[in-house]
Amino acid sequence: MSILTMLWKNLWGGNRTTMFPARPAVSKGYRGLVKFDPEFCGGCAICKFRCTARAIEFKAGKGEFVWSYDPGQCTFCGRCVEGCIEHAHKEGRTEYALSQESAPPPIYLTLGELKHSYTVKRKPPVAKPAAAAVKPPAAAPADAPQSPNPVPGDAQ
Amino acid sequence: MKLWKKLMCNARRRSPWLFHMNSGSCNGCDIELVASLTPRYDAEQLGVRLEGSPRHADILCITGPVTHNAVNAIKTVYDQVCGPKAVVAIGSCPATTNVFIDSRTLDGPLTKHIHVDVFVPGCPPRPDAIIQGVAKAAEILAERGMNPPKTELSIAAVNGAGAPADGSLSAGNLEVQP
Amino acid sequence: MTTALARLLIFPGLLFAVPAAWFFLWVERKAVALMQGRVGPPFMQPFWDFIKLLGKTTPPRNGVGGLLMRAWPLIAVASAAGAVGLLPVLPASGGFEGDLILLLALLELPSMCIIAAGFSSGSIFGEIGSAREAVLSVAYNVVFLLAILSIAASQHTFSLEALAALPATPMRWLGVLALLVCLPAKLHLNPFSLPNAEQEIYSGPMTEYAGPELAMWELSHGLEWVAATGLVATLAAPYIATWWLAALVFVALMFVIVLGLSTLASATARLAIDTTVRFYWQCTLIFAVLAISSALFMRFRS
Repeated sequence: MSILTMLWKNLWGGNRTTMFPARPAVSKGYRGLVKFDPEFCGGCAICKFRCTARAIEFKAGKGEFVWSYDPGQCTFCGRCVEGCIEHAHKEGRTEYALSQESAPPPIYLTLGELKHSYTVKRKPPVAKPAAAAVKPPAAAPADAPQSPNPVPGDAQ
Repeated sequence: MKLWKKLMCNARRRSPWLFHMNSGSCNGCDIELVASLTPRYDAEQLGVRLEGSPRHADILCITGPVTHNAVNAIKTVYDQVCGPKAVVAIGSCPATTNVFIDSRTLDGPLTKHIHVDVFVPGCPPRPDAIIQGVAKAAEILAERGMNPPKTELSIAAVNGAGAPADGSLSAGNLEVQP
Repeated sequence: MTTALARLLIFPGLLFAVPAAWFFLWVERKAVALMQGRVGPPFMQPFWDFIKLLGKTTPPRNGVGGLLMRAWPLIAVASAAGAVGLLPVLPASGGFEGDLILLLALLELPSMCIIAAGFSSGSIFGEIGSAREAVLSVAYNVVFLLAILSIAASQHTFSLEALAALPATPMRWLGVLALLVCLPAKLHLNPFSLPNAEQEIYSGPMTEYAGPELAMWELSHGLEWVAATGLVATLAAPYIATWWLAALVFVALMFVIVLGLSTLASATARLAIDTTVRFYWQCTLIFAVLAISSALFMRFRS
């Protein structure tokens, strides 16, 4: 009898369907299309190395490089984003070029339609703080700039 | 008979019958395809029916990167689907072979063998994305009915060779390469 | 003659039965969907399915086998439409002694056509599906025919018109109950939907059919719905003299029966063929035999 009560409840209790074309919300950590921000890309190509499906292509040139991404080839694993974030942390940066949007990728009609590439000019290398800088802080690392004033506490 | 044509195209948009075929997939996309028939996503609200025979279907949903063993089966089933038909490639595998790129057991993306109308990317795609893809394919069928294309979209147009047109569905006719 | 043609073509014939078939097919799908917690298909879905199927191409059919393949769906539609036309819905609508037998024969033909179609399609899935349909037919038909015979024998008539006019007796309710038990098997609903087992045998007997032929099969299935539920409705309905009230009650009773069948279909799973035969031959046969023997006994006593 319990199946009949269940059917009765379903019949009057309403459906659980998301009516087309509305779509249910994705969960918080959903991995969708990879987004590239050319401003923060240093051209290390770790994303291309880590990509499992060869969706990212990286062509280095003189003074600029071309970064291209084919969502059709992508498997949305997120390794490229992880690599970019790790590399950024290692270099002490807080901003990184790659992120993954939390939305399902769109459907498309022709092969290769979603592939896009960016040509990014290589930025000049970030200059290390020069010799005429102000007194470095007490806990400065080993490769702190030379300063005329002896650093208290730190021999080197 | 303009009215009949409009009625027919409306019917094609509102009544997409699917046949699902797996050409070597990991089954993730297949699971999401049948999940689209569950109460949360309910593909039946669009009139979608998962049919048991390719001859009954209009839309062929193919998952999986095309393995060598599956190529003949795909071509045979594509020929068995009666026109007008559309093909939806579900998942990234049929479109580009995804992570299995350059594998020795595969025979290229699906577009090498049959004409594909809609690609639904994802690994696996969400059921609502699959429903969007099927709805788009139904719309394409309706538009193609209103404005028929100039050339025949068949295997012959794609690569010049094809399976027999009236191969019946008994198991003996599906050649499987050893 | 004109009343017969009107019954065949207008009410309850084709003009009423075809939209009614689409309506009841939709009611079944929608009720099953709502009971499963989903939104079902939109209202005109079976109509759109029919129109779309008319526009598809069919594979080439060669030789006598091909001609037969094209003929079976048409025969199924014609016999189901004829069965609907025979229903005694309106009061004083004519009919002849023995048209109950004709109705039973016409109701049998669509499943015979399915069996023949599966075998003539030349595919192994068709053969297996047809074999299952044949076993199912043998299983439920014993109970079905015995129930109808017991109703007819208890009321001393084989005319549908007379059966509809006579007041109901307890024997008739027993017979109607037995008919309701056979109805899911006749209409290929769960728990007796074995010939439609897509997960096992692709589409069974229908595997090789496409396009307009498939549209005719779906139409014959819908008309079978109308004829079978209409038969139970006319046997269960009281005699009403005004024609429009009789028609209304007929449609309302059919609607209730369809809802009941949908509830059963969504509440049960598919039974295997041996369980189905065992159900019909062991559980229900005993009651059908009791019904007909008591009907004959009462007849010879009176």
